[in-house]
Amino acid sequence: MLRLIVSRLAGGVAVIVAVATLAFFLLHAAPGGPFDAERALPENVRKNVEAHYHLDEPILSQYARYMGDLAHGDFGQSIKRVSTVSEIIRVHFPYSLAIGVSALAIAITFGLLMGVIAAWRRNTWLDYLLMSIALVGISIPSIVLGPLLVAYFSLQLGWLPPARIEGLSSYILPALVLGMIYMGTIARLSRGAMLEVLSQDFVRTARAKGLRERVVLWKHAARLGVVPVVTYLGPATATLISGSFVVEKIFGVPGLGSFFIESITNRDYPLLCGTLVFYVMFLVVLNIAVDIVHGILDPRIRERR
Amino acid sequence: MRLAVALIVCASCSLPEGDYFGQIPDVHDRPRTLRFCNQGEPDYLDPALGNTTNATPILFAMFDGLTLYAPDGSAEPSLATSWDIAPDMRTFTFHLRKEGRFSNGRAIDAYDFAYAFLRLLDPTTASPISDKLEFVKNYDGYTGNTVRKLLHDAGPLRAGAVVELVATNDKTPDTNLRRSTHALELRDLGAPIADAYAHVPAGADVELVELTGGPVSYPSPAGVEWAYVFWDDGDGHYGWVPSADLDVAPNDDATYSIRAMPMRQWPGVQATPEVLAADDAAPHPTVQVKGRDLLRLPELIGMRIPDRYTFVIETPVPIPYVVASTPSQCCRVTPREVVSRWPRRWTDASHIVTSGPMHLKLWLEKDRVELVRSPTFWNQKIVKADEVIVFNMDDQAANTNYYAAGGCDAMASNNIPTSYLPVMNGEKHSYKDFASKPYNGIYFVYLNTEKLTNRHLRRALAYAIDRRPIPRIIHKGYGTSQVTPGTRISDLSDADRATCGVTRDQPGFAMIEAPGVCYVPPPGLDFDPAKAKEELALARQELGADFPKLTYRYNSGSEGHKLIAEYLQQSWQQVLGLDVGLESQEWKTFVKDTTDGQYQMARFGNIGSIADTESDFIVLFHCKAPSNRSRYCSPEFEKVYAEAKQIFDRKARNAKLAEAEKIMLEDAPVIPLYVYTQEHLTKPYVRDLPINFVDQVPLYRAWLDPDWNK
Repeated sequence: MLRLIVSRLAGGVAVIVAVATLAFFLLHAAPGGPFDAERALPENVRKNVEAHYHLDEPILSQYARYMGDLAHGDFGQSIKRVSTVSEIIRVHFPYSLAIGVSALAIAITFGLLMGVIAAWRRNTWLDYLLMSIALVGISIPSIVLGPLLVAYFSLQLGWLPPARIEGLSSYILPALVLGMIYMGTIARLSRGAMLEVLSQDFVRTARAKGLRERVVLWKHAARLGVVPVVTYLGPATATLISGSFVVEKIFGVPGLGSFFIESITNRDYPLLCGTLVFYVMFLVVLNIAVDIVHGILDPRIRERR
Repeated sequence: MRLAVALIVCASCSLPEGDYFGQIPDVHDRPRTLRFCNQGEPDYLDPALGNTTNATPILFAMFDGLTLYAPDGSAEPSLATSWDIAPDMRTFTFHLRKEGRFSNGRAIDAYDFAYAFLRLLDPTTASPISDKLEFVKNYDGYTGNTVRKLLHDAGPLRAGAVVELVATNDKTPDTNLRRSTHALELRDLGAPIADAYAHVPAGADVELVELTGGPVSYPSPAGVEWAYVFWDDGDGHYGWVPSADLDVAPNDDATYSIRAMPMRQWPGVQATPEVLAADDAAPHPTVQVKGRDLLRLPELIGMRIPDRYTFVIETPVPIPYVVASTPSQCCRVTPREVVSRWPRRWTDASHIVTSGPMHLKLWLEKDRVELVRSPTFWNQKIVKADEVIVFNMDDQAANTNYYAAGGCDAMASNNIPTSYLPVMNGEKHSYKDFASKPYNGIYFVYLNTEKLTNRHLRRALAYAIDRRPIPRIIHKGYGTSQVTPGTRISDLSDADRATCGVTRDQPGFAMIEAPGVCYVPPPGLDFDPAKAKEELALARQELGADFPKLTYRYNSGSEGHKLIAEYLQQSWQQVLGLDVGLESQEWKTFVKDTTDGQYQMARFGNIGSIADTESDFIVLFHCKAPSNRSRYCSPEFEKVYAEAKQIFDRKARNAKLAEAEKIMLEDAPVIPLYVYTQEHLTKPYVRDLPINFVDQVPLYRAWLDPDWNK
């Protein structure tokens, strides 16, 4: 197990270095710079400002400076803000994390519930209804679902705040919108797996023993039914937590996602590279965690490596 | 599926009905707290760095200046009680009040304004908005780091002469570079070593920024000269040290080529326009000197301090809009003692010292800024708000929804999604809390004169556009064929129309620049299909086989730009039979390409910062203007424009400028499309939150009337 972790960590570091390098050069290759604006800067002023951020140096020395700082854990200074990149991540990632985690909780709870019930009552109106909801969840993008929910729950009914994070209730709509796609996927995955499991011998045996249907369903069958869901959760968690910028924008959440997007349009090189590297680190750690969990669950994986 | 349908139905029925858009919260518990929905996140809260429309309403509440924005957007006296403008319009003397205080209690005087100017222009600040002081003497030389004071006689030049470095390049050694053989203790002026806040190691480079005893600097403490230096370590530190501590000047023996600056750039010079003109024409020979003979010092900037409470601004040429510019970032005071310690981080809530009506309490990026009344501000009677909370969400729909739910009391201009506008201000129904007002901006198409060299072709393209449907297409603005915005002549008051000398039925726009001063722009090439075809025929004749394949470019991300592009494409097709390709580009790429001249036709907008046509709009077509994207450079236009700049009388000057604009519009380097309007939502209980032409909202003047409906 230790060897597995060490080798995965080494691979992770290589991935981070590769992503940082690629991001750095791709960004600098993109046309336009941080100080190109509608009202063009006078030449002298542009020179002073670029010198301040070392943008006047050759690209390779900028790269060396960037990687050197990165090796010391310093993501650098945003070109368009007072804060350092590390500060931005420290203050704003928790918002993204909170929404991502609550979305995940919604997705898992309701997705599993829907999948198991649909499989249990397959080909009935209940099955069709639940799977329709799942389909809607998968197919409506958050940019449509978000405003719809705001229009109904905030503006029409006045139950939930339409924007900003202020108190627990303001997490509900963003988390719901973000979780919908994953809820739908989880529902369909678990329904498929459950159908297979429910037709197996041990389920028939359990029923033959005279166990109550609830126990058969949730204690015996569902445990196997969630296996494909667990596999799916690794990448899903990562995308949920890193990919919430559309939802953050719709709901005016001060999460990291909006900084990430803004840094692209601003050509704020350090902020963009920094957030990207941070996300990659997060993914790498998450992937390692998934591998470890797999190893624990399935001895064959552990031995093969 | 049914759920989705239900949701969609509900969404369309859920737009608030009634007189007002959304809820009207009860504000009895907070009559002195304004909650304001900004357009997005401010970039910096530092007047020398912050420049977005998201930053300025906050900045201008936190920092006092010579003048502040009055409710109508003009400059009203604040720290300057009054001012005198010299008859030649090149010297502006501001008389300061003695009651001005920073929030740390220190009195504000003329030296703080000299510091504000120095900070904006000094290369060590790297201010992206130093062009707010473009009008002062030696602006170019100071930001370009080429102007110097000559310390000793050299050839024909006397000590004290204002000179410029000739043929400088990045390798020119720096005259202001200094070192010390022992550690330097950076501190406040005259403070003992024990109070030092930064320690520069022996031998480290520092940049000399200022010396005491100069015409715009503090007197030397106890007769000992002190130097203000910048040490570039990370975020950097500024601080004072006795000059004698800077015992190493590495470039003293380096050789520099210099020549005298034209006399009109010498601060403090007394001369008639004739003498200045003669000096402009006289030769200024190049002289070789050593590094020890030269220094860059703040006294080279066009400002003077005759006494502690008088501040003088000097410009090289007559400038009519200096006073109008003073409420901008150029002339807001910031505390040197705090900036020196944390040059970039001094605006953190834990460090900040302010000078204006409000003080910073909290800044959570991408969420909100909380301001509270500053007890040290001298003019408490104009401050009606005890607290202003500015929400800085980027998304227009999020802002508007938040307003509808009663989250904020008022919204910044142009913060409403275009798709909401037909509902806000429709033909059947409009909300009482919605307002659409004139705005100092215009939308136009640049024609790159280096790619579309044929004047007839450009004129044909301009004549082919009917502007009347454009406001309907995008639900705001007013179509016009002039390139300088203003208020619709039909919307002006009778008095203003009299000032402008226009009649109510006259089409177009006019701008009231100051009391009694109006700019009436000339009409440009308006829709005329016959003339368009005529010009196209001439263009085809002249160009022959070289007739270009045409492309129009716009930036992606806005539905409006796309709709206008398609409308233009259709117009050129129908009127001229031309197939014009459309290209959309990501914003930064678009800006870069258009600045570099890599385009034929491109959309652009321009928003003026003060109500002055000359400073914000006509200048865009001046040969050397950095934003001259059409690369228009007409000797005829330049001649009339230069003539206008020498005229002191504002009416005569504006008449001359209109003449220049006419020449430019006839050459068609630009096709004006429509003049902007600003759309606002303000709850009915908000008082004293005016909407003005330059969109400068003094938030601190606002208060809420909880009993508004009684």
